[in-house]
Amino acid sequence: MIEVAQLRKEYGDLVAVDDISFTAETGAIFGLLGPNGAGKTTTIGCISGLLEPTAGTVRVRGHDVVRESAQAKASLGVVPQEIALYGDLSAGENVRFWGQAYGLRGAKLRARITDVLEITGLLDRAGDRVDQFSGGMKRRLNFACGIIHEPQVLLLDEPTVGVDPQSRVRLLDLVREQANQGVCVLYTTHYMEEAQSICDRLAIIDHGHVIAQGSLAELQAQMGERDLVRVSGSFDESELHRAFGHDADVEIVTVDDAQATLSVRKASSKLPTLLAALTGAGSEVRDITVSQPSLESLFIKLTGKELRE
Amino acid sequence: MRFLLATAAKDLVRRRRDPLALLLWAGIPLAIGGLIFLAFGGDDAGPSGRLLVVDQDNTVLSGLLSGVYQQGPLAEIIEVEAVDLETGRDRIDSGEASGLLIIPDGFGTAVLNSEPFEISLVRNPAQRIVPGIIEESLSLVVESTFYVQRLFDEPLDIIAAVQPVGANIVPDSTVASISVAFNQIVDRAQPYLFPPVIELETKTTGEDEDGLDFARLFFPSMLFMALLFMAQGLSEDIWRERSHGTLRRVIVTPQRVAMFLAGKLLAGAMLMLIVIGLGLVVGRWVFGIDLQGLPIALVWATIAGMMLLAMMVLVQLFASSERAGNILTGAAIFPLAMLGGSFFPFEVMPDWLASVGRYTPNGWALAKLNRVFAGDLAALDLVRAIGFVTLIIVALTWLAMRRIRGRFAHS
Repeated sequence: MIEVAQLRKEYGDLVAVDDISFTAETGAIFGLLGPNGAGKTTTIGCISGLLEPTAGTVRVRGHDVVRESAQAKASLGVVPQEIALYGDLSAGENVRFWGQAYGLRGAKLRARITDVLEITGLLDRAGDRVDQFSGGMKRRLNFACGIIHEPQVLLLDEPTVGVDPQSRVRLLDLVREQANQGVCVLYTTHYMEEAQSICDRLAIIDHGHVIAQGSLAELQAQMGERDLVRVSGSFDESELHRAFGHDADVEIVTVDDAQATLSVRKASSKLPTLLAALTGAGSEVRDITVSQPSLESLFIKLTGKELRE
Repeated sequence: MRFLLATAAKDLVRRRRDPLALLLWAGIPLAIGGLIFLAFGGDDAGPSGRLLVVDQDNTVLSGLLSGVYQQGPLAEIIEVEAVDLETGRDRIDSGEASGLLIIPDGFGTAVLNSEPFEISLVRNPAQRIVPGIIEESLSLVVESTFYVQRLFDEPLDIIAAVQPVGANIVPDSTVASISVAFNQIVDRAQPYLFPPVIELETKTTGEDEDGLDFARLFFPSMLFMALLFMAQGLSEDIWRERSHGTLRRVIVTPQRVAMFLAGKLLAGAMLMLIVIGLGLVVGRWVFGIDLQGLPIALVWATIAGMMLLAMMVLVQLFASSERAGNILTGAAIFPLAMLGGSFFPFEVMPDWLASVGRYTPNGWALAKLNRVFAGDLAALDLVRAIGFVTLIIVALTWLAMRRIRGRFAHS
């Protein structure tokens, strides 16, 4: 398991992550969901031993990553966001090298090379140079290099970025398979759908802080039965607050001249009333969208902005 | 240690797939060295030219005069060609020869009678060295003729007074009197000539000391130029490791970064070993350079190359970008090559510059290599030098590791 407690990382005056705490369990996938620049990669860097935390502790299977670095790293597998491969080597040579980096050799190494290339669907391309591979194949090989030594803890930093839908599905299956085999998986992504589909537990991270965490059900419960209603047009903020200020079923999340976001209980049944109230408040409505409770709507509710912004 | 070897093997496989870079690293210094070698000393044939001779006298003496240029070292420089006057003038005017010597009729008689006479030498103004040699040689012959005339005036008078009986037949009595006259002169001169007052001893010293064996001089320099180019080229790979993310991936493995760096240095050393080994074979068999201690030279050059590679890697690590790294290392190798005897051997540099150059890392190592080739580097000195270089490599690797872990990998 991974235990992160009050993690803080500073780069000079910049605080990249601050007071981050969570626990990722064995045999489950823990997701770190947040927009680009939220601090996900910094968190992964501190857990993997790439970065030294400014404060806080990180333990991997009970080993402190700073004080017992070698023991912690030995059980870690890392699949970085970048495709960290040698393009001028073949797929087999890449996997071999990273296997050797984790101390594998001889028959065990050969067997693992075959295994990981097979499960990633690259066995028939083992002898081909990596710089001739497609983006999806490189991503799968990147994954293969991260699991060559059968790690008990697997860190995946946005492993599906820039991958075609087919390869993405295959990669997500591979990740799920690892968790099913008892591996503790920490998975970072800014794709809400991915997090919803694969993660058992999640922490939503923004500006270096964890703003919500729990299981998918727990997080969705924070939204209650409220839908997210996004309205485009022209708005008068004070009139809008006056119109909905005493309505318990409507909560204004954000509002500016051109767009308003509202959290509304059972919005679909209240749309006519809502539109009338908006018009009565001097608003001009050009477009209206209703979203069911989701991680995306929770993120918007918590931060006032979309995940991809 | 296994990871060190795995890293070295990985880099060697990668290099094997980029043979052009290897060829360039070895080829550029060979090309530059070859050009310098040809420009300064590759053509050991020396100057040569043609002397046109118009012999209108056609006597034994006129033949002897033109024959001077066909004897000994002059024959290697000057080719003598007999021509008529008109052809001679045409050809010297068109610059086809270095000189035109005209020996008019009556030359032989004038010499025998010790009378003043004029011969003509026309020099080709477009040339300097060969016409100068021809003129100087002619002056010497003319001067020598004067002393011969003074010394042997009596027999020469006899020869001049000879009236042959029949076609070119000299009476026996005349020949005898000439011989007697020559012997008497030699007998009179003998006390002054033998033993010689000045004894001339000619001693040929080694070509090394003269600095004339250009191939031998330039060859070690070319080897070090190749090492410098290789060190620069190989050092760039640390940026590729960084930009591809493989450096960061190494850091998150249980392996030490120092082992990874050492593996990269080892791979570089293996490539240098191959290039220097091939260079030594080329030097020995193609240029015919006689070098001593080739195996020791190979080991020393490789270790020195490893030190240069570690230096270049450290320079790359302190650069702000790959481009800046290449500029910095490029800016470093040219002064190092110039000062350190890799472009111009220390032997052809001013003493003060050579003494400064021997303090550069490559210059210091090159001076040791020259001593290995000359066979005058003691085993203890060599062991000390290898130990020192090893310490430098370890220190540079430690600094590089600190830099990688501290900032380079993350920025």
